[in-house]
Amino acid sequence: MSPVKIKITYCAECGYEPQTLDLAKALMYEFGGQLSSIELIPWEGGTFDVRVADKLVHSMTRDGGFPEPKAVADAVRSALAGV
Amino acid sequence: MSMDRARFETGLRYDAFKAAMTRNRERLEENERRVTLDAETVRFFRSLARPLNVVVLAEDWCGDVIANLPVLGRLAKEVGTLDVRIFYRDQNEDLMERWLNQGKYKSIPVIAFFDDRFRELGHWIERPASVSELRARKRREIFAAHPEFGSPDAPVDQLADDVRARLQAELQKMREETTAFANAEVQRELRELVAAQPVR
Repeated sequence: MSPVKIKITYCAECGYEPQTLDLAKALMYEFGGQLSSIELIPWEGGTFDVRVADKLVHSMTRDGGFPEPKAVADAVRSALAGV
Repeated sequence: MSMDRARFETGLRYDAFKAAMTRNRERLEENERRVTLDAETVRFFRSLARPLNVVVLAEDWCGDVIANLPVLGRLAKEVGTLDVRIFYRDQNEDLMERWLNQGKYKSIPVIAFFDDRFRELGHWIERPASVSELRARKRREIFAAHPEFGSPDAPVDQLADDVRARLQAELQKMREETTAFANAEVQRELRELVAAQPVR
């Protein structure tokens, strides 16, 4: 089971910092050292994208809204399991 | 939702909103300095038969508020016929529900004009469509000129840090270059909105 990298790209000018930090915090508490890193990327244009390993598991443009933390956690578990 | 004199007066005046900002005040004031007032718009609002009450929904974290609210702020100061009161979007959900963008999005700023009896004359949301269109076209041109930026529709987290920084700089430059057009379009749209609904 190799550690998983997470990237959260968020629209800084939209003020999405609270949602970004909430998600990062939830993942840190749940997975701790099973994660290799959580990268937070300030961007623009209404972005809120979450990538787990190499898979884009949520995109505000594609999926609408913010992700359910449980759905992201499930994606992390799948990545850790090598699924 | 209703708006009346008592509620209207609970809104913040432009300077009070600025004083209460927890972030982006420097950006907002820089944008304010860069606004060139349009002579036709100034003439139009100065010639109103009666002053208008203007309700604004805003938050200090929103880029469109930081870009467009200063246009209204400068205009109101210049013409003297617009009494502007600003309400925080997230503390006034009933107001936001009234002016949802396309019936579903909580886009801000909202600028709503009322007559002296608080009958709504019209409202304006977020930014002019012409500005969105121009910037979308310019954005496509940037990507076309820089193949290293990849597809304009691809998530940017896949770009190398230095490439992403260059893309961000190009987008920032493009926004700067289109600001004068955007400010003029905001004034034109506000003027045309009120002109289409003569003050009763």
